[in-house]
Amino acid sequence: MTTYTVYKEQLPLLFEKWSEQYALYVPAKLREGFYDLVPWKKEIEIAWDFDVAYNSPKRFLLPPRETLITFNRKTCEAAPVFEAPAQILFGVHPYDVKAVNQLDQLLESGAPDQNYVRRRAATVIMAYEPLTVSPSAFWATVGAATASHGYDLYWTKIGPASFTVEVGSARGEELLAMGGPLLPSTAGDKEGARRAKARILFKARRSGLRYNWEETPRLLAKCWDSPLWRRYSQMCLACGSCNLVCPTCYCFDIREESDDHLEQGIRYREWDGCMLESFAKVAGNHNFRPKAQDRYRHRYFRKGKYIYDKIGELGCVGCGRCVRACTAGIANPLKVFNELWEETAHEH
Amino acid sequence: MAKPRIAFFDFAGCEGDQLQIANLEERLLDILAHVEVVSFREVATGHSDDYDVAFVEGSITRPEDEVRLKEIRKNAKVLVALGACAAIGGINCLKNFLAENVYREEVYGASARWFPTYAARPLKSVVKVDAEIPGCPIDPTEFARITKELLQGRTPWIADFPVCVECKQAGNVCRYEMGRMCLGIITRAGCKAACISQGAHCWGCRGLVPGANLDAARIVMDRPGTSRKAIQDLLRFFLGDTGAAL
Repeated sequence: MTTYTVYKEQLPLLFEKWSEQYALYVPAKLREGFYDLVPWKKEIEIAWDFDVAYNSPKRFLLPPRETLITFNRKTCEAAPVFEAPAQILFGVHPYDVKAVNQLDQLLESGAPDQNYVRRRAATVIMAYEPLTVSPSAFWATVGAATASHGYDLYWTKIGPASFTVEVGSARGEELLAMGGPLLPSTAGDKEGARRAKARILFKARRSGLRYNWEETPRLLAKCWDSPLWRRYSQMCLACGSCNLVCPTCYCFDIREESDDHLEQGIRYREWDGCMLESFAKVAGNHNFRPKAQDRYRHRYFRKGKYIYDKIGELGCVGCGRCVRACTAGIANPLKVFNELWEETAHEH
Repeated sequence: MAKPRIAFFDFAGCEGDQLQIANLEERLLDILAHVEVVSFREVATGHSDDYDVAFVEGSITRPEDEVRLKEIRKNAKVLVALGACAAIGGINCLKNFLAENVYREEVYGASARWFPTYAARPLKSVVKVDAEIPGCPIDPTEFARITKELLQGRTPWIADFPVCVECKQAGNVCRYEMGRMCLGIITRAGCKAACISQGAHCWGCRGLVPGANLDAARIVMDRPGTSRKAIQDLLRFFLGDTGAAL
């Protein structure tokens, strides 16, 4: 892949040009210790050293609420609604790129989710190598430290004012060329990028799984009856926060509402979560996962086994958002998987 | 088919929920085109006891309220509790933590003995309630949606998950991560996390979410730097009639 070197002073022009055609989002500080991708404005200060974006990138591809169809109650006609704004997500960390790649796989397989697919196609992802690691993150040990695809450009900060930019798609290269002639990276710059990657990996590996992540599905298969599920789920508020902040959770609920004339209406979807009590409620008010314990265990099986059985990777990219979001302090894949590993130590 | 006849009633409360309905303005005319309003004193004059749906605001605080509410229940096919006072007792229940002579004198002074009142309670403590539109005040768009669902013969739906869901959808920074208190963890959603999105925290005005884990919530709220008195005050503010109040 081609790699170019870009200097900080080129960015204002690039951002300016991109924002003419795209909704451009960049990482910025919300308040001390909190960062997020926010709409770019000229005066915005980019938080190059952000540890994690408070909200995961899924909201750009699978918005919290989205209209799917409009219908007419009189004529019984319905029409799909597709919204796919052209957007650039600048500064997506590799673990979040991995998460988007996973959503791509899951939502494009079977009956492709047309709304998602369209939004995804209109979205440019500019990956960015992190400079700091969030205290709750463990992405380096769940196979999510690097993303080999899924980005249009991959930015690595190699000096106070310089970046290497690896091209991931023709669209990405065209966007980069909007700033003027491209400067291919020297061997030295590429080495700088390699070192930057090694540096952050070293930092990120300080906390993580105590075993090879690929053992997780086998580990879970032995732990269905572990006392751990009950111990932790006693504190579960069933608030769904862990689901909603998760970059790979994609469940939604579908509802309908008529207009005030009771003639037309819309069908829309909203984020849902398997930790919510009503999530598994079906016809006749039967709930097949009525207890917090059932739901809590299900989430870890989903992240550690069911997704793996489908696509060969964990459903958790180690971003640590759920660890932060859980007020009860029980949503923690790292702690849960490590504790289960220790519980079963006599077996391995 | 004849249009359903609807009527509005109020007990102890500020009538703020009916005001919220009036605030629907031009939308209100479209919605009311499907019904016949026989009683809505905040908006129109006139009254009739012949109605199908009764929207009842306010909580029950006096023996004579009970008699009147039972009469409304008898006349109405569907009774809808409107707002926090009607649905969960709301802030009127603050007085339930005081001695009767204390709150009566506080409100009525020297003539307290002329005004019998008792512990405030929601409508469901007195009669069967068919649907609730919670909140202080109610969200007019939720009122519109539930009214339309009733008109279509659907079971009215209100959120059965905590405010955290809508707060995460809104992308807010969690109050607990900012070292603050918030009742969003046990409160029924449906408000789109309005207070938190505006920089405040959740006061619990929409009542407890079904299955709220109060034991866990108390542990979560009882953090270093948070006074237990403040937690108690917050839990009593709207949730005085529920099991949450300490």
